[in-house]
Amino acid sequence: MYWLRWGWAELKNEVVVLPSRTLVLAWAAALLVLPAVYDDAYVLRILTMTCIFAIFAASWDLLAGYTGQVNFGHALFFGAGAYTSALMSHKLGITPWATIWAGAAVAMLFGALVGYLCLRLRGSYLSLATLAFPLIALGLLFAFPDFSGGELGISGVRRLMLTPTANYYIASISMLAIVFGLWQLADSNFGIVLHAIRDDEVAARASGINTPRYKLTVFAVSAAAAGFAGALFAHYLRVAGPSTLEVALSFQVVIWGIFGGVATIYGPVAAVFILYPLTEWLGSFKALGELRLLIFAAIVLLVLLFMPRGLTPWVRDKIETQCPRCKQRNGAWRSVCRLCGAALKAQVAGAQRLVGHQ
Amino acid sequence: MLRSIVLAAAAALASTAVHAQTLKIAVLGPMSFVQGENHWAGAEMARDEINKAGGINVGGKRMQVELIRADTNEIQSVSDATNAIERVITRDKADFLTGGFRSEAVLAMQEVAMDYKKIFLGAGAAHSKLGANVEASYERYKYWFRVTPVKDTDLVRTLFAVLNTIAQQIRTELKTDMPKVAILAEKAVWTEALIAAVQKNLPAMKMEVVGTWQPSATATDVTAELSAIDRSGAQLVFTILSGPVGISVGRQMGERNMKAVAWGINVEAQKEEFWQAAAGKAQFVSTLDTLAEVELTPKTVSFVKAFKARFKKAPTYNAGTYDAIMLLKTAIEQTGTTNADKLVPVIEKMSYVGAAAVLEFDKRHDPVWAPGKNTGIAVQWQDGKKVPFWPPNVKGMQPFKMPAR
Repeated sequence: MYWLRWGWAELKNEVVVLPSRTLVLAWAAALLVLPAVYDDAYVLRILTMTCIFAIFAASWDLLAGYTGQVNFGHALFFGAGAYTSALMSHKLGITPWATIWAGAAVAMLFGALVGYLCLRLRGSYLSLATLAFPLIALGLLFAFPDFSGGELGISGVRRLMLTPTANYYIASISMLAIVFGLWQLADSNFGIVLHAIRDDEVAARASGINTPRYKLTVFAVSAAAAGFAGALFAHYLRVAGPSTLEVALSFQVVIWGIFGGVATIYGPVAAVFILYPLTEWLGSFKALGELRLLIFAAIVLLVLLFMPRGLTPWVRDKIETQCPRCKQRNGAWRSVCRLCGAALKAQVAGAQRLVGHQ
Repeated sequence: MLRSIVLAAAAALASTAVHAQTLKIAVLGPMSFVQGENHWAGAEMARDEINKAGGINVGGKRMQVELIRADTNEIQSVSDATNAIERVITRDKADFLTGGFRSEAVLAMQEVAMDYKKIFLGAGAAHSKLGANVEASYERYKYWFRVTPVKDTDLVRTLFAVLNTIAQQIRTELKTDMPKVAILAEKAVWTEALIAAVQKNLPAMKMEVVGTWQPSATATDVTAELSAIDRSGAQLVFTILSGPVGISVGRQMGERNMKAVAWGINVEAQKEEFWQAAAGKAQFVSTLDTLAEVELTPKTVSFVKAFKARFKKAPTYNAGTYDAIMLLKTAIEQTGTTNADKLVPVIEKMSYVGAAAVLEFDKRHDPVWAPGKNTGIAVQWQDGKKVPFWPPNVKGMQPFKMPAR
């Protein structure tokens, strides 16, 4: 009874008061209810893949968005998780329920290693260095084809579940749990430190923050989440091949991140939920045919042109305002802050104009 | 009011009837690439031929063929390929599937097709693993059949068979017992096993390996390699090339007036544009290929001519979707049903004369490699034309030529 009361209070005071949170709650509820109302195998496949890639995109955002460690080789962690889980399950006969965690663990080790090797690099140098790691991993896989399956990869990997609905629930619940976990992490004191490192690493160090430790930790956590996504991918498609390490996948996650809005966690997730089904939907129109990638590119460019901070910050700014005094967010319809009672609308707009004239 | 309801009901019934008389075949391929274009072109030819003749006779009922074009985008994304196959099965209600190209993607698509127990006639992926699945778990994978090409290990058998024929010609014309062979393979993982096989087997075939050269797959200048091959006294250059380096090799061998002749895999040399790309200097370059205007079977010449007339280019092996659909038609008419479980044993026992080969399947549902039935062909560029020369006993084959000495 206590928990029910607590839940209701949280819902009323923390979720429904903000349109963005209400939207997220509705989206999560819709995801969980969907198979009960629309049990279409194709739609479930698309959404399963979307959920897997959403984990991957959110993991990139924690590293690149919050910490400023823009990783151009994030597919390394996805591939490490996919290959580890597939190899352990396929060659050692271990249940995939255990191997997906092993995949995440190995990806975490890879993350720590890459983080350690790149500790002294910043900006574009870091990005270019990270780009090389999946290529090295691909080279190693091709060098030991008996172990890795070479250019074909590992196929016939065991499934986690047999039915499309069950696989969908595995992916969607994992996604909701991981994304919520990453968001909580980013919203905690740990996340504030990450912001500080991104904005001014020297100042953060001068404040006594052990920045290498934080950077290594965030590399490892981000890689573990990406590895988990990779492992789910391998067991869902039943194949773990070189495509899980391809440069295209590394760049795909960057597009999702920037399209949705970096340093938000939910931004890249929203981007995947818009762009992945959209590409698939465009592909279903025979008249559009091979133009779908062109249309996809045009949509991404237009969004970035008119929403330079990404889609979700733009939408959030339209439906919510920030209190100039306490910095808390409020619904766009409110004239005074829900927490401190400060005026939100006319006064703030006037102040902004004044700042503009100065 | 009543009249319009009756009319609407009649129209609905009619549309159901038309739908029921249609057999849906999904053509899966990377449609933005030449492989997918050929998948689709081959399937279109089969569809038009079948529908023009009245359709497929299914137990006395005529059914028209309807093709579903599915862009798998498999060269760029494996997950796109699985989405595409799921869509054609569950949304478009495809009865049968054909196509596929990239082995990694086809393996993933094979899983989806087998989940739904749909017959999937492969027309592009060569990897043995696809057939090995059938042998390892027959009940699950029995719906998979590879129509073209022959599996990777059989492609190597063709390479060696042609090599032997050319070596014999060199022995006769140059009066030598041990022809000297230079291996020219691009630096890539896929070539390594092949290089090892060539180095190991050539001495047993009474040929001397004078060296192995490995330029980059994208090299635009292979002067150093060709100079060294010249100095080694090689009479035959065994090429294992899939990248643009194949054009550089063809052009520069011509520019250097090399006396050695090139045979092997040269993917660029399979293309119609190769002669022009090599500045008209790729004289006598030869490569493995699949289709030409020769009587591999009684249907080959008419198919290739019709394909060229319609699409203004020669077919590649991915146009094997034609044979796949025609084979399916024969199996359906033989059994009088479209039931996959009843069709599988019939296809397993078939000996179908296709346009590219005589198709018979082994226990892995791979096409049986057999000279005179299904081996692929060898072609040589002679004066700007791609001339088929192997298997030699096939009507329409022309002599293999060597540079003048």
